[in-house]
Amino acid sequence: MALLEVVGLSKTYPTGEAALKSVDIAVDAEEIVAILGLSGSGKSTLLRCINRLVEPDGGSVVFDGTDITKLDKPALRKARRHMGMIFQEFNLIDRLTVLENVLSGALGVTRTWRGVFRAFKNADIQRALELCERVGITDQIRKRADQLSGGQRQRVGIARALMQQPRILLVDEPTSSLDPKIGREVMDLLQSVAKEAKVPMLVSVHDVILARNYSDRIVGLQNGMKIFDERTASVEAESLDRIYNIAS
Amino acid sequence: MRSQTTEIYEGYLSNRRGAQMWKFVALLAFLVFAVWSIDVLKIPIERVLGMFGPLWRMVSERLMPPDLAYVAQPKILRSIVETIGMSVLGSLVGILIVMPLAWFAAWNVSPARFILYPLARIIIVIARGVPTLMWAMLLVAIFGFGPLAGTLALMTATIGFAGKLLAEQVEAIDMNRVDAIRATGANEVLVFFYGVLPQVWASWVGIIIYNWDAQFRGSTILGFVGAGGLGLYLREQLSVLEYHTAMGVITVVIVLVILSETISHYLRHRLY
Amino acid sequence: MSTPAIVGNPLREPRIILRRYTIIAIAIAAVLALGKYTIVEETDWERMGSAAEIASTTLDFLPDLAFFPETFLPLLETLLIALWGTTLAVIMAIPVAYLAARNITPHPWITYPLGRGLIVLSRSTHEIIFALLFVSAVGLGPLPGIMALAVRSVGFMAKTTAEAIENVSPGPIEAIRATGARPVMVFLYGVVPQVFPIFVGNAIFQLDINIRRASILGLVGGGGIGYMFAEVMQNLRYDRAGTIVVGITTMVILGEFISNRIRNRII
Repeated sequence: MALLEVVGLSKTYPTGEAALKSVDIAVDAEEIVAILGLSGSGKSTLLRCINRLVEPDGGSVVFDGTDITKLDKPALRKARRHMGMIFQEFNLIDRLTVLENVLSGALGVTRTWRGVFRAFKNADIQRALELCERVGITDQIRKRADQLSGGQRQRVGIARALMQQPRILLVDEPTSSLDPKIGREVMDLLQSVAKEAKVPMLVSVHDVILARNYSDRIVGLQNGMKIFDERTASVEAESLDRIYNIAS
Repeated sequence: MRSQTTEIYEGYLSNRRGAQMWKFVALLAFLVFAVWSIDVLKIPIERVLGMFGPLWRMVSERLMPPDLAYVAQPKILRSIVETIGMSVLGSLVGILIVMPLAWFAAWNVSPARFILYPLARIIIVIARGVPTLMWAMLLVAIFGFGPLAGTLALMTATIGFAGKLLAEQVEAIDMNRVDAIRATGANEVLVFFYGVLPQVWASWVGIIIYNWDAQFRGSTILGFVGAGGLGLYLREQLSVLEYHTAMGVITVVIVLVILSETISHYLRHRLY
Repeated sequence: MSTPAIVGNPLREPRIILRRYTIIAIAIAAVLALGKYTIVEETDWERMGSAAEIASTTLDFLPDLAFFPETFLPLLETLLIALWGTTLAVIMAIPVAYLAARNITPHPWITYPLGRGLIVLSRSTHEIIFALLFVSAVGLGPLPGIMALAVRSVGFMAKTTAEAIENVSPGPIEAIRATGARPVMVFLYGVVPQVFPIFVGNAIFQLDINIRRASILGLVGGGGIGYMFAEVMQNLRYDRAGTIVVGITTMVILGEFISNRIRNRII
């Protein structure tokens, strides 16, 4: 059975906008799946429905045998600890240092008093430092997050997600706020990190080339509906063109 | 294998230990300061917790309900008008005086930097440093009881309050546009009117309204020291231990201040 | 090629100019009427004396330097009252801001109006009124003064903090939620760091204001230099009053200078 099974996922925002219309996706262990679509196709909503940062209106999200959509708040929090999320706008805590930002990935399992006084466990600090080294940000660990460049911030975001020792990575347009060259470096890092940790990754992109170069499978979204789902190696130019055609 | 990470880790830990020690010292210093303050001020700390009972009783029995019938009298209503009048006149005249003062007190455009700038700054600082009520007391001593002293006090308070804010706005303008006017050979006054004023006018209007709001709050209490307005009746009623009527006056004051704030808030948002 | 004849004022239509000046004239008339009614009629011009007498009374306020040392302890008391009043206000402002922030208040129909109501009451009531209240309840001295200042300052602190909370960027909050952290942690790491600089800046700002407020609390028994001031004024020792005024002004200026430095270093 797939590690993540999304069946019939739907979401209509209060404004009336139907962002997702009954989408099905399955992700196997150790797979990198690219979700390809234009702005407004529902990519962000899809990712956020999986960890319920956005509440879906219908459908189910079964992760490792558990239906996320049916969990109560405490159980949901527990489930989220195993899902690492990386954001387009990085979403770091500006005032905190790089190291503290990486450590904040472990907040789900940190005791309250440790969080309040930022007295993280030594073992956590050591792990955070190792992750910083892995993503190549060691020289900046004492800097405040708002003093970093875009590419550096995304690396911190990646390290933060890895801090959770996640069992799946949900990545929302990681490079849309970066220069193409930096973006490719970040995608290289993401790919190597996912493969190394043997963890499946769901990445939303709007660039065909990125989808092609970094994924095992491509899922195409248009207007909230899945319009194709194929292995990257065998995806046809025609399928990709359909993404970029305005709905006829 | 001793990687770079391990070294950084140990460095980080020792730094953190240092930082934590400083935080502990700061906390200790704070506690010492607290104890010393209690001693110097002779605060009966052991009675503090027991004070909330009498406080609540006083509010619920002696102050409530406020005597609003007292407030409906013509003399009180006249006093309200007087209070409003004081605040309007005081802030208006004060603004007229302080606008050129703010010009002098702005380092970037002050016409005679080494004379007018420090002079204007000193005037503004002194006007602001003394509380309005104190100004009122001083002015009552010179000019006698009545709203004249109160209006002058509000004028002075305006100079202090608005002066700083207005000058800050002037110091934040784009000097290029000022230089453009200077380059035409215009004198300093015209440079101010054409180069500076247009840039700050929008924010100045906001400050003027904000100032009136602030001064109005002060005007309600000036009568307490004989400088005109509602405060007089507050003092009067308290001095004869008529707490319910005093509470009535206080209620009126609070309502008026809420009104003035609503008006000023509305005006400031409508103008943008 | 002929230039068109220019009729009237090309910068403004005559009608607009006329309307403008009429409005200005009416405004000036209104102000003068207000002045007459409010001041001219209510003032006892005869008791005031001549201009020379006024000038002479003003000169009476020239400070008596020998009196300075006697002001030190009361001034210190004033400073301490301001410090502790502000500290209390800062502490009390946190729960009030929590209630008054639309995005995190627990029960929007109950706690939000409650929080906002407390803020309004605090900001609309003069500190003298609060001081009168507390002096009646707990007696004379610096304690009611501290309490009065605290209650007076809570409003501003809570209001600005609540507004800052309402304006936080949602991104970092989303990120912390995504790690599965408890709501407390989401607040501490998502909201607090964004609000902190504003909070501290406003606390320092309030401290400056409270030094001035504290100096008049003594007029009604709230401790500090206010009592001494009332006393010397009553005894017509205007020169000593001048000394006190100089003392207060110096303290305020020093306070602002120091707080500016601190603010630049922290933010």
